[in-house]
Amino acid sequence: MTNAPKTPPPEDPIREHTYDGIQEYDKRLPNWWLFTLYATIVFWIGYWFYYETSGIGPRDTAVLAAELERIEAAKLAAAADLLDDGTLWQMSRNSVFVQAGRATFNSTCASCHKESLRGAEDGGIGASLVDGTWVHGGRPTEIFAVVDKGVLEKGMPAWGPIIGAKKTAEVVAYILSHHEEAK
Amino acid sequence: MMFAGIYYSTQRLVKARLASDFLSALHFWGWQAIIVAAAITLPLGFSRSKEYAELIWPINIAVAFIWVVFAVNFFWTLARRREPSLYVAIWFYIATIVTVAMLYIVNHLSIPTSLLHSYPVFGGVQDALVQWWYGHNAVAFFLTTPILGIMYYFLPKAAERPVYSYRLSVIHFWSLVFIYIWAGPHHLLNTSLPDWLQTLGMTFSLMLWAPSWGGMLNGLLTLRGAWHKLRTDPVLKFFAAAVTFYGMATFEGPLLSIKSVNGLAHYTDWIIGHVHAGALGWNGFMAAGMIYWLLPKLWNKPLYSQSLANLHFWTGLVGILLYVAAMWVSGITQGLMLNATTEGGTVLAYPNFLDTLNAIRPMMLMRVIGGGLYLVGWLVLAYNLWRTIRGAQTVNGSIEVYAEKPAAADTRLGFAGSVFNAPVLLSVFLTGFATLWMLGENLVSVAGLVGALLTVVAGYALLYSRGKVWQGWYERLLLNALPFTVLTFVAVAAGGLIQIVPTVMVQKAANMEDRVQVPYTPLELAGRDLYVREGCYTCHSQMIRTMVPDVLRYGDYSRLGESIYDYPFQWGSRRAGPDLARVGGKYPDVWHLRHMEDPRSISVGSNMPSYPWLSERNLDVASLPAKINVQRTLGVPYGPLTPQQIFDQVNEQAKGIAKNLRDAGAYVAPEKEIIALIAYLQKLGQFEPVTPAAAN
Ligand code: HEC
Ligand code: HEC
Repeated sequence: MTNAPKTPPPEDPIREHTYDGIQEYDKRLPNWWLFTLYATIVFWIGYWFYYETSGIGPRDTAVLAAELERIEAAKLAAAADLLDDGTLWQMSRNSVFVQAGRATFNSTCASCHKESLRGAEDGGIGASLVDGTWVHGGRPTEIFAVVDKGVLEKGMPAWGPIIGAKKTAEVVAYILSHHEEAK
Repeated sequence: MMFAGIYYSTQRLVKARLASDFLSALHFWGWQAIIVAAAITLPLGFSRSKEYAELIWPINIAVAFIWVVFAVNFFWTLARRREPSLYVAIWFYIATIVTVAMLYIVNHLSIPTSLLHSYPVFGGVQDALVQWWYGHNAVAFFLTTPILGIMYYFLPKAAERPVYSYRLSVIHFWSLVFIYIWAGPHHLLNTSLPDWLQTLGMTFSLMLWAPSWGGMLNGLLTLRGAWHKLRTDPVLKFFAAAVTFYGMATFEGPLLSIKSVNGLAHYTDWIIGHVHAGALGWNGFMAAGMIYWLLPKLWNKPLYSQSLANLHFWTGLVGILLYVAAMWVSGITQGLMLNATTEGGTVLAYPNFLDTLNAIRPMMLMRVIGGGLYLVGWLVLAYNLWRTIRGAQTVNGSIEVYAEKPAAADTRLGFAGSVFNAPVLLSVFLTGFATLWMLGENLVSVAGLVGALLTVVAGYALLYSRGKVWQGWYERLLLNALPFTVLTFVAVAAGGLIQIVPTVMVQKAANMEDRVQVPYTPLELAGRDLYVREGCYTCHSQMIRTMVPDVLRYGDYSRLGESIYDYPFQWGSRRAGPDLARVGGKYPDVWHLRHMEDPRSISVGSNMPSYPWLSERNLDVASLPAKINVQRTLGVPYGPLTPQQIFDQVNEQAKGIAKNLRDAGAYVAPEKEIIALIAYLQKLGQFEPVTPAAAN
């Protein structure tokens, strides 16, 4: 080809040394290339800081554990209409359930039972739920029944129709999380 | 190809003949002998089971020896060079030779138990880390740096164009050799490898992107002004395509190192596609281009047929594209299916592993076609080569070289001159400070960060004020092969030291998490060696990752302590079959017997091979005492056992399994190999909890 440049344009200095006839330009590094290099370095610093130095970024195992809890919770929730004591105890050891139950409790039940769950002992209206005595029976299914149907004549409303079976189960799990299963 | 390219170009680049014809011949024949030995031993099941490091220890020694022969020959030639300054290709060759030697030796440290068998000195996580430090960098320093060197010689030669940028060569050479070494843990993402190593592996892999592309740019941009030649010259076609594949593979690599992408792609064909883009496209096409360029020169005769060379190019290109595309589709399909969940993410969408294999079956056909085309291309090359050289004489002569004046005394850089100067010291400080920042606690870490920042600022200031001086220094360094080699070695050694030494040194307890494996009984150990011999690890991993789909499919994620006595580790790298980390106790003994004799009788449509000979051959018990002695030396808690005690234990356990089988209606003598394998499989996943107190 005749129009191929025979000599490089002046801004391309060629290094004077040649190796076995091979010449070398000494061009500037492309900006986008440098940018990529710097960006990945900055990313490294940021990523390391987030996950390793600061401890803000969660560990893989923590993420996994939370995810598995969520899955278990979802499975338990699906089982909520066939509740039995064992399932309720299991729920009370699942943090997803217990967290959700705490939220419901504090918003719906704490007015009478107090956030401490100590109820009348703590100046509330309802019975204490942590004193170890159960007026209506202490088996998880019995507690569930009280919350679900209420004790209307004593001032304990029926919650099942209001908050639904799932939330009822969660809140019972929350109460149970303050107790140990008798062996 | 690599050796030929290095030998050819080095002689010309340093204007000196190879130092020793004897060493060259030894190198050639020694290497051929190693290949033959490998081809015999591997199919017979003599294997260390570590990827790219399968060969047994006597061959390892031969490889190391031949590599040293190569190194001596090369450096001796350098010492006699008449061209004082080292060209960039030579830098890459130097990096190749020293780094491969280092990697190979460390990863092959093992203690023999017999003439044909050995255990590696590292086990569990340490072995995994060392293996992938080696495995990743074998790709880097055996399949990348020498080829880059070859590119820097043959590509400008063939294109008759100057190399694009010397400055880029300098930067990308040093950043490449320095950063590459750190990236090994990206082969172990989402496993039980400690988090800090995973983070290092991922971030350094991303940082590797630009340095790798520096090589590609320098290759492709050198072709500027020569693109028109591509139409006619098959050599340049091969080179241009090869460099493009290099760029593609080195873009894909960092992508695959991102943890979430890796969670999908790891253990699937995507990884296989990735390496083949590199191996077939980059290495293979560089080799082909080089051969077509060299043939006419070496035999002083034009190539027999340009059009056949073009045919090779096109069949090869289509072959690679089909192959790689098939692997992408297959890998992503299987990865997605394995990780897919339904019902709000609570159950696996494809609980049967075989579904995922059947889905990718058509891709395997495409893979075969692609690979076949690629092979045909090489047969075309062989024919072309034969027709070209038939009846021709090799050029055998000497060339007059013009040697420049002997180096003046003041170009010598002593030890002090090479080490005590701003660029080297700054790099050392920067690495040191950055390491303190990453690995130090509280104040040390802060100090490291401040130090690193100060070093960067100082570096920039100096670069602007004294850049010219640095340039002069580097030019002088290029006149000094030994200091150059030493600096290269330091640069590549740094990453490995910082990652591996802490992992090897820390008390084993710290590597355990909350569980420790129950050591194998002698019979189980024998079964494990069978597992290695039969190559089960090529399809089965033993590492349940910290990912929901893995846990849903295979059970609780694997802890470090659960493979602490595994010499060698068996975490695996491809799942063509399910993970086996917790298969122990999942099925009765007789299930395994039937499954090993004929997998399809148990799992309809399984593609696992049958292993009928395991039920026929007798177990080699005699070698067990030697093996257990070595394991004990390595730190596995075997009490003092006499050979007789070992044999008794084996007999007793084997009889138990044989009885189980008999009760289930299967008759196998307790001496058979299958009994040991069943013992091993049933052991997988057994651990004892460790309390922090007990660990200390
Ligand atoms: C309006 C006040 C009030 C609210 C709101 C209330 N409770 Fe009660 N709760 C009571 C009273 C009063 C009793 C005592 C009934 C009795 O003595 O028979 C009681 C009893 C109980 C008992 C039975 C205790 C035992 O000893 O057997 C349980 C369980 C309980 N409540 C749960 C809940 C839950 C869960 C909620 C929220 C969803 C809730 N309560 C909301 C007033 C309330
Ligand atoms: C070509 C790949 C391949 C090789 C090699 C291979 N397997 Fe398999 N293996 C599979 C596949 C696919 C399955 C799933 C289907 C089945 O159960 O057969 C499987 C299943 C298994 C299972 C059952 C796992 C479970 O959880 O259901 C065991 C145990 C097993 N293999 C052991 C071995 C052993 C031991 C070897 C070596 C002697 C071996 N495999 C070699 C592909 C392979």
